[in-house]
Amino acid sequence: MSGNHLKFGIVLAFAVLSAPIASAQEAPDADEMAALCHGGPSICVSATIPTARTQAATPGWMSPDVGAAWAAGYKGKGVTITIVDDFSSTSRFSGNFGLGVQYQRHGEWTREEAGMIAPSATIRSKDFTTGSSVALAPGLNVLNLSYGMYTTAGYSSNQIGWSAEEASIISYATRGTAVISKAAGNDSVAVGGVTNGQQDYLDLALVGKASAIFVGALSTNGTTANKAQLAWYSDYAGSNPLVQSHFLVVGVDGSKTGLYGTSFAAPIISGYAAIIGSKFTKATPTQVTNDLLNTARTDTLVNYSASVYGKGEASLSRALAPVAIR
Amino acid sequence: MREKSGNRESFRRLALLLCALLAAFPAVAQEMTTSFVDIHQGSSLSERARSLGNGGYELQNGNWVSFNQWYRARWVDMHVDLLTQVTEDTGILWGFGTGEEGEKYRIEPSLKLGFLTQIHPSPNSTLSLSLTTTFGGKLTEKPCEADYGDFGSYSVNCRLAASQLAPEETLKYLVNAKPESQHLWLNYRVTF
Repeated sequence: MSGNHLKFGIVLAFAVLSAPIASAQEAPDADEMAALCHGGPSICVSATIPTARTQAATPGWMSPDVGAAWAAGYKGKGVTITIVDDFSSTSRFSGNFGLGVQYQRHGEWTREEAGMIAPSATIRSKDFTTGSSVALAPGLNVLNLSYGMYTTAGYSSNQIGWSAEEASIISYATRGTAVISKAAGNDSVAVGGVTNGQQDYLDLALVGKASAIFVGALSTNGTTANKAQLAWYSDYAGSNPLVQSHFLVVGVDGSKTGLYGTSFAAPIISGYAAIIGSKFTKATPTQVTNDLLNTARTDTLVNYSASVYGKGEASLSRALAPVAIR
Repeated sequence: MREKSGNRESFRRLALLLCALLAAFPAVAQEMTTSFVDIHQGSSLSERARSLGNGGYELQNGNWVSFNQWYRARWVDMHVDLLTQVTEDTGILWGFGTGEEGEKYRIEPSLKLGFLTQIHPSPNSTLSLSLTTTFGGKLTEKPCEADYGDFGSYSVNCRLAASQLAPEETLKYLVNAKPESQHLWLNYRVTF
């Protein structure tokens, strides 16, 4: 096969659909739930800010950080999040992001989630079966990739005959022209690792790219009092330093939403990137990416290790905070 | 700088006005007495400045920044009110506030000027009217310089530097408040 470009079309969305099984393994105990519900935000301001709310009511699955973002009235304005996903298949499943039980396609779920994190962002939908190049909008662009491109293990990513769609995404990540939030995968292997003789070549193609972030799932949002651990299904960072330095984790609290999988981790990072972009309106995608990576927390995680959690749990409040103030 | 010299000028004018008022009654000047009416520390603006010190946030490295350090003062704004009696039933109310200053706010010194007059509708009753005006005493919040790493450094509202507001937007929410500028007081007293 050497020298031949492999054309493949196995696209796997990263939702874990066996919710009842996952629920049994992931449901926090009563005390843990109480701590999550009552945990306060780490931002505390006393000023009058543009909206009437100072602490917006956010669904329980969201990090308290997002409530603070909502309260401030800046929710991703001026940023475009493009959801590259399934918007056309007949496959649907149920869940509840706090808006009532819905029965939707995979892309409709990830779009809804990103939109809830950053309600003022412009959300675009791009069906991944079209294969056409992903267009960028004016201003900061964030691409959400809650899917992988799998085929037989053993090739290098440059042997793959990418469609215009993935070729454009890889190019944006390489040139740093869009923040790429890529779901790590649900095979409990290192990013790009082999599972059942197959590999996610989109993961491999994004390794070492300036504005790409691999997003793994924690079973809950972590706090210093109640540290979180990697969800049982989530791919981890692995030993490659290039992956570790671009790997984040966020809470995917499926016990509250019925939705499990790193598919629902990536939209949280997409939303965070949009909120950061709405604060720092001149920021480049690479700057936003680095801000998220450099401000991740390790003290909210059980037995932190870079090979598992990469840079750590994304912290929106720290990503928005100054390095120093005087 | 222009604002400061302007304030100094207005205080100078007020002082001259006060001297002129007192000098306008040469016949009674020798008999004029001045009394303390009130002396107190703190004001609604002092309280407001203090309330700005509630809260804080984490910097990128997790270090906690408390607002309290920026909104406390060693000296709390002191107000002295005096009454200089001009005639049996009139007097000039005057006084001053020292102002106060914290790292990120300032309350200007203030000068109070007004009059008090009274009439006796009946031998055992008194109707008093006073009007005072306060000059200066404005509360001004100062900005901070925030370093956002690769995003650059900005002048920001210290309290909102970690919020989702764009750095330049936070400046809109700096507190600029004036004290109660005029006070009208009407009192009717009956002795029985």
